[in-house]
Amino acid sequence: MSSNNMADPRRQNKILRYKPPTTETNPTLEDPTPDYMNLLGMIFSMCGLMLKLKWCAWIAVYCSFISFANSRSSEDTKQMMSSFMLSISAVVMSYLQNPQPMSPPW
Amino acid sequence: MRIFGDCLRADIVTRIQQEGSGSTMRHLSILLLPLFLLLLAFPVSGGRYNDDFDDGEDLADFDDNDFAEFEDMSDDAVPEAGTAPPPARGSPSLRPDEDEDENEATVELEDGQDGFDDSDAQDQDIYSKYDQEEFEGIGDMEKTGHPMKDPLIIHTVPAHLQNSWESYYMEILMVTGLLAYIMNYIIGKNKNSRLAQSWFNSHRELLESNFALVGDDGTSKDAVSTGKLNQENEHIYNLWCSGRVCCEGMLIQLKFLKRQDLLNVLARMMRPTCDQVQIKVTLNDEDMDTFVFAVGTKKAMGRLQKELQDLSEFCGDKPKSGAKFGLPDSLAILTEMGEVTDGVMDNKMVHYITNHADKIESIHFSDQFSGPKVMQEEGQPLKLPETKKTLLFTFNVPGMGNTSPKDMDALLPLMNMVIYSIDKVKKLRLNREGKMKADRNRARVEENFLKQTHAQRQEAAQTRREEKKRAEKERIMNEEDPERQRRLEEAAQRREQKKIEKKQMKMKQIKVKAM
Repeated sequence: MSSNNMADPRRQNKILRYKPPTTETNPTLEDPTPDYMNLLGMIFSMCGLMLKLKWCAWIAVYCSFISFANSRSSEDTKQMMSSFMLSISAVVMSYLQNPQPMSPPW
Repeated sequence: MRIFGDCLRADIVTRIQQEGSGSTMRHLSILLLPLFLLLLAFPVSGGRYNDDFDDGEDLADFDDNDFAEFEDMSDDAVPEAGTAPPPARGSPSLRPDEDEDENEATVELEDGQDGFDDSDAQDQDIYSKYDQEEFEGIGDMEKTGHPMKDPLIIHTVPAHLQNSWESYYMEILMVTGLLAYIMNYIIGKNKNSRLAQSWFNSHRELLESNFALVGDDGTSKDAVSTGKLNQENEHIYNLWCSGRVCCEGMLIQLKFLKRQDLLNVLARMMRPTCDQVQIKVTLNDEDMDTFVFAVGTKKAMGRLQKELQDLSEFCGDKPKSGAKFGLPDSLAILTEMGEVTDGVMDNKMVHYITNHADKIESIHFSDQFSGPKVMQEEGQPLKLPETKKTLLFTFNVPGMGNTSPKDMDALLPLMNMVIYSIDKVKKLRLNREGKMKADRNRARVEENFLKQTHAQRQEAAQTRREEKKRAEKERIMNEEDPERQRRLEEAAQRREQKKIEKKQMKMKQIKVKAM
């Protein structure tokens, strides 16, 4: 590998600090999955709570899990936790109001 | 006791009625009133504790209204559809012969029913029977409604009352799915982390010998090497290296597959993709001459040419084959001019590329790099985007998704190639012809851009002028003093006049020139 000149290529005085790339310049490079999944999760959990649909609530739980798995580390954990808690509460409320087991759609 | 009490009551009532008025009568009634009330209270309280009486057999015969419900239910209760037998407190009257156990009542259940019945139906029964006793005529009418024996309909117990949890199989499925997701998350996260670590371990030495700063997250006060990767995601790791001749810095992004997301894992089973390592080297102005060049897989070249601003503007031709230089057929070249290709593709570079052609996705050198084409709402951006001299490398990790940490060592020669490219680009200079061509190209691109945005810039200028006029008018209107108002108005009018004159002069000049 080594180049022919034995001089050390490192230069201490040329160090530049890392600047995280701004997302306004390239919004297309960002992965929209966690945001979409978050939104879907909230919508489904609201549906499950209001319309008392069990399957909506379960899908909401899945959505919030997927959103969490795809989230960036810089994102707020509070948002994740809130959507997670909302979906869990939707499931619990659906079962409290109607303890019958979920019937499959087929 | 109850019978006695009632007898007494009856006697008292008759006696009172017979003796009619009279003071003695009145005295007697006053005296007897508390006694009467007391005696009245007895049967009412005693009536509640139905379990306590011993003479159950007499009840069947007793004709009082309080017991009518029990009496008549022995006839009609059994064939009635769906009604359970009366609850425990009523059953002793039904089966008077079974009243050996004094206080507890035995309840015989029909098949398929538990002891809890519909209290509503039972109430209705009671009331209908009550009506029958009170109103004789109606009793006959009702009885005609009930004569036929309705068939026994045994309802199935609702699922949530069944004590088996097999009926909850959908829920169990859901929970199992969630557990599977969580397991996959943990496994995927660990795998990605191990891959990243093994990559870093194999490349650490090379990087540390070339860069003064290896690993920086931008937050610490001093520019000290952190010596580890920044984790942006569960599948994206960054590394910033800086402090070298010929370049400003190098950003390495390990873009792994989303192994932590089960949905992604399932999608990848149908459409396999591979992990990628993206390297972006930013250069100072003096480190690179003006040229645009790219080499990579045909698919990648086609895509980049469409997406990236600089490649689409400067490398207008379709991707060419690199067979002239001995490159494999899978790779294609996009270049600004032939001289650039000759300059970049020296022996060593060709050697690198041919040996590792399967791992190379794209290599892109550009002095006009500004990222992908930006589409704004107005249609075109009003200013040329900022450009930066950049070298971009995208490598595919071998293994097509099923990579093991050992595969990361295979990428080490590619990192060597990157370092070599940085040094090479610094030395690569176009000759005079090439330089002229390059400058002309850049001027052409800028002109095109200005032409395209000309209409828009004109519009923008127009709006600005109108804004100024309006602001001035407003100022004039808001002026309190009529004198000053008049003067300002006159000044504005004079300015307008001057502008019109100037325009007319210009038109005249153009006409003269045209002639």
